[in-house]
Amino acid sequence: MNTRREMKPADGSRKKPGSDPGADSRLGALAGGIAHDLNTVITTIYGYSEMALESLDGSPEAAENIQRIIGAADRARMLTGQLLDLSRHAAREKVPVRVAAVLADTIDFIRPSVPEGIRIIRRVSAPDAYVNAVPAQLFRVFLNLIMNAIQAMTGQGGTLTVTLGCRENEKALQAGGQCMELHIRFSDTGKGMDEALKREIFKPFVSAGREHGTGLGLTVVADAIREMGGTITVLSEPGAGTVFDIIIPGAFFGTLPEKH
Amino acid sequence: MPGVMIVEDDAALRELLRDTLEKRKYTVIAAADGREALAKFRPTVIDLVITDLLMPEEDGLMVIMKIREIKPSTRLIAISGGGMAGPGSYLMMASKLGADAVISKPFLPSELVMKVKELLG
Repeated sequence: MNTRREMKPADGSRKKPGSDPGADSRLGALAGGIAHDLNTVITTIYGYSEMALESLDGSPEAAENIQRIIGAADRARMLTGQLLDLSRHAAREKVPVRVAAVLADTIDFIRPSVPEGIRIIRRVSAPDAYVNAVPAQLFRVFLNLIMNAIQAMTGQGGTLTVTLGCRENEKALQAGGQCMELHIRFSDTGKGMDEALKREIFKPFVSAGREHGTGLGLTVVADAIREMGGTITVLSEPGAGTVFDIIIPGAFFGTLPEKH
Repeated sequence: MPGVMIVEDDAALRELLRDTLEKRKYTVIAAADGREALAKFRPTVIDLVITDLLMPEEDGLMVIMKIREIKPSTRLIAISGGGMAGPGSYLMMASKLGADAVISKPFLPSELVMKVKELLG
């Protein structure tokens, strides 16, 4: 089996003695990975069965046997559907998530797809900050914003700078105190947006003038941030790039061996 | 006949899709991952690319973005069987990046052929 990206946990969950709040998420990721590989195998079974049926020379027994193979594949398909349901269910669980870890995983995920001439810079001043969130949802928020920035810079090149820090309370954070709000900024040097587009950008089916895309990405992002009790705002001008600022309340801190 | 590129890391499925499309007289070029796909991509030959999304080397999202740059008129179909939060999320990303159609695995080859015909007119 190939090493696949979805097999790697992207939750950054904190482990505590006697409890593992990220376990369900990891199980969900594993289930999703298995379902992916099985679905590929089932497609092949369907395909050759269909091909065999087409090439039959009127043998009812052979046709019946092939239909049985297809029936078995249908049952396998139901099982992979259940595995994916499990994956999705686990993906809805809110757990303590180390935001810097999810951000790092997201950038690692998208990096092979980044066109030449586009750089992603990550600056993290709150590496041990946690929020209660659905890991996959946070992953999708970051991924959407990074992909939007890449699209805005495709063709012309540029830099996306992602910063993660404590809002207003850096000193308290450094002294081991509480930082209640996290500030995550995605700042690109891409095409930018005019006032009219900026006003509408979080509404469904509005996209930045691109030929392709559903226009749902930033709506999904805004909904997810709202669910976390946070806010997202945008600053942009045509030709001057775009800045998305996310504020997430309820942050708390832990000590971890790994640093990003 | 139009040229179709298949990018799929599973060898059995790759050959099945090649057989299916060659029987319908398409010119088929197959690749096992995104890197091989980009090395083999010929804008004058290929009209449509069918790409898996999760592959060990360069992945399908990268294929979609790069092909869109190299030859914007190329038709793109993304196929995926799952992922961290179900196939929908990866397929949604593919669609966002420029795929003309997305298909969840498992699918019947006849469904794919219909989609290919539809996109190539």
